[in-house]
Amino acid sequence: MAGMLEEVKRQFEDATDLLAETLDNGYWKMDLAYFPALCDEKIKDGLLVPFSYRFDPDEFRRMLRANPKYERADKPDQWANLLLKGFVLLSIEGECYSFKSDRAFTTEPGTTEIESSLLGPQAAFSEDLNMNTALVRFRYNVPTLAAEPYDKGKYSNTSIIVMYDRELVNSTVLKRLHERLERIRIDLLNASSALIKDLTDRHYRLFPTILQTERPDRVASMLRKGKIVIIVSGSRFALILPVRLFDFMHAMDDEYDSYWINRFLTLMRYLGIFLTIILPASYIAIVSYNPEIFRVQLAFTIDGSRAGVPYPSFVEVFIMLFMIEALIEASVRLPRIVGSTATTVGGLILGQAAQQAGLVSSIMIIVTSVVAISNFVIPNPDFSQAVRMTKYPFVLIAMLYGLSGVAVLFFALIVYLCNLRSFGEPYFAVFTSRIKNLPPRGG
Amino acid sequence: MYRYFYYHVIYVGLINIMIFVPWTLLQHRFNGAVSAIGIAIVYGTALAYLTTFLFSKFPGLGLADILKAYLPRGLSVLLNLIGAAIWCLAGVLVVYAYSTTIQQFFNPDMNPYLFLSLMTLAGVWGSSRSTRTIQFAQEILLLICAPLIIMILLKAVFSPWLDWNAIRVTAGYVTNPPSFVAFCAASFVFAGCNTLAVVNRLLPAEARIRFKWIIPIFCTFFLLVSFFIPIGFHGTVAVGEYLYVWSVTADSMIMEYGFVYRVLFLFLLLYTALSLMFAMNTWHTAMEFVKACHPKSKPQPDQYPVGPANWWISAVFGVLTIAYALWSNEERNQMVNQNWLIAQVFTDLLTVLLLSGFAFRKKRGQRRSAPAAAVPDSR
Repeated sequence: MAGMLEEVKRQFEDATDLLAETLDNGYWKMDLAYFPALCDEKIKDGLLVPFSYRFDPDEFRRMLRANPKYERADKPDQWANLLLKGFVLLSIEGECYSFKSDRAFTTEPGTTEIESSLLGPQAAFSEDLNMNTALVRFRYNVPTLAAEPYDKGKYSNTSIIVMYDRELVNSTVLKRLHERLERIRIDLLNASSALIKDLTDRHYRLFPTILQTERPDRVASMLRKGKIVIIVSGSRFALILPVRLFDFMHAMDDEYDSYWINRFLTLMRYLGIFLTIILPASYIAIVSYNPEIFRVQLAFTIDGSRAGVPYPSFVEVFIMLFMIEALIEASVRLPRIVGSTATTVGGLILGQAAQQAGLVSSIMIIVTSVVAISNFVIPNPDFSQAVRMTKYPFVLIAMLYGLSGVAVLFFALIVYLCNLRSFGEPYFAVFTSRIKNLPPRGG
Repeated sequence: MYRYFYYHVIYVGLINIMIFVPWTLLQHRFNGAVSAIGIAIVYGTALAYLTTFLFSKFPGLGLADILKAYLPRGLSVLLNLIGAAIWCLAGVLVVYAYSTTIQQFFNPDMNPYLFLSLMTLAGVWGSSRSTRTIQFAQEILLLICAPLIIMILLKAVFSPWLDWNAIRVTAGYVTNPPSFVAFCAASFVFAGCNTLAVVNRLLPAEARIRFKWIIPIFCTFFLLVSFFIPIGFHGTVAVGEYLYVWSVTADSMIMEYGFVYRVLFLFLLLYTALSLMFAMNTWHTAMEFVKACHPKSKPQPDQYPVGPANWWISAVFGVLTIAYALWSNEERNQMVNQNWLIAQVFTDLLTVLLLSGFAFRKKRGQRRSAPAAAVPDSR
């Protein structure tokens, strides 16, 4: 197929980093095209050496047919894609072949950065798709683990792999996922979070309905529960679906800790969520609307600590919440070296200065710290952000209605969560675990 | 998933306070309430057993679907609308009663319609969800409320200020002939099983409702508590003076330890959840009845996202609540409450009679078409 080189050169007209040449070893001529930056050293031993000074026509033909890295690539419309994915195209004796020589950018698993664990494995997903697939296969080592490759993103052309245990998976969810994947129209797929937006049907969602994780052990335990995992090339996070609210509150250490520790910590986390949502609103409600709820001594203490504060409680709450949100945002965005400055300065202000200056009450400082700390107790960053946002509607309703409004909004929040579905499966419902209904392996 | 059924039984049993059941009973405490309670326990239990049994003959079908299958269209639409009116009114009454309670005990300075509209909005938001969502929400909310319920009940029963003599004296009036209104009020406590009218759609065919003894045990307990505990706290005569008798009773208790001193506030927070659950469920049931009037309607208990019809119908219920609040005052509200309590006895009876007729016809193989279950596989 003599036209390969011309065709490739025509398609990649100004791509000067494409190497497209005809090699001649004195016996044969070979048309060769590849991106040196996308390919690794395998091309030397796999193709250039057998073609050049170890050349033997019979052996070379045998190699083309027998080596699984070589595949026939007859269709001209595949060529561009193959080259871009790091394949080498070669045309020899009128036949066109592709040689898989894509470069792996990382060769080692990453380390857990977001979902750290004390006793669990420390290996995390890397940004390399093959490495991530290997990590999943290593932890979930059964023949029933299915893997379906896709390419998504009009411009990024990102490889993704959908993995599931074909014996355990819920077929309706899988069908729904296939439909969604068909419908996806996305330009650049740079991170797995970008995929979430297109897989969920709501653009204005607050709570995540797809779980992102960097831990292969979490992926394995979810696969065992019949969930589907999506790995996106170039992203350190795998997507898991369908999930329930409780999965976001689950730290992997829960599976490695002893029973009572695990129960205690889980309970503490839910208490943390409750406090971080309710506390600023309750402060406003109790100080400004219903101080009679608390026993007299406590009501006096709270009011006494507010003696020097000249404005209503909600202004105080907004000042402090702004401070703490700004501090969190600053510590996330700042480079590590400067980061400690922000925390020190913020800690000074949040700590004593604001109270001594008479801007906020000392109780409010306690409330703010409890809110911030409780929010960090949530193991999943996505969910943590959602909870972080949730407290603001509560603050607003407390301004208008006091404590009874907070109770009504809490009801509405529970209904909202129950109303959510993750790929048609219930999101927030207790005692509906599927795991007990799943067949044991080999059974 | 028959456990969802019992959540309905339990919160309907508890909500009787907001629909003035204790007040009605206490008005008749010397002339027939006690014997009416006795009769209502037997009658309510029998009716509850019968209702659950009859609904189990029509697996996966709501009451509206059964009516549609067995009755001429005009009649079934009429019955649907009657059902919708009864259910919708129950929610309206509870939301109104609760927001006036809050007005009296929690936010006396607030414009009464402000909180009422918030409650209505929350009720509309809840009721416009799908049936399955409502079940999930009900379960979780009841689990969250359970510690509060148990605490308040135990505190009331074991309170040293509870005068058992007053309770004994009142119980002694059991020989008086029963009063009809008191009987209707008392039998409301057992009405929780009627929520099967919609929830039955989500019960899988093979799921038998087991542990039916829960109904008489819990409902009798709730009924006796809500009647006798206020008497024990306020005395046989003074108890008749209060309109919001249970709020005052809750205020008779204090908590020694903890941030909150008066039990009243916990009680009110608890009843925020219970009233909203009740409003959510009754309006949802009413909404399903209205939706079933449309000839092409198909029951979709697990619809996501919900259709616009849900929003519109629930919004109408919300508007009705506001309108009721504008029209109503204490006296009119009492009148409507009493009449509603009487009416619900008759509609419940009518439901059972109709269902037995249909079950009989079904057994004789006379049904016209085989109605299919709404959800063939529901977990």
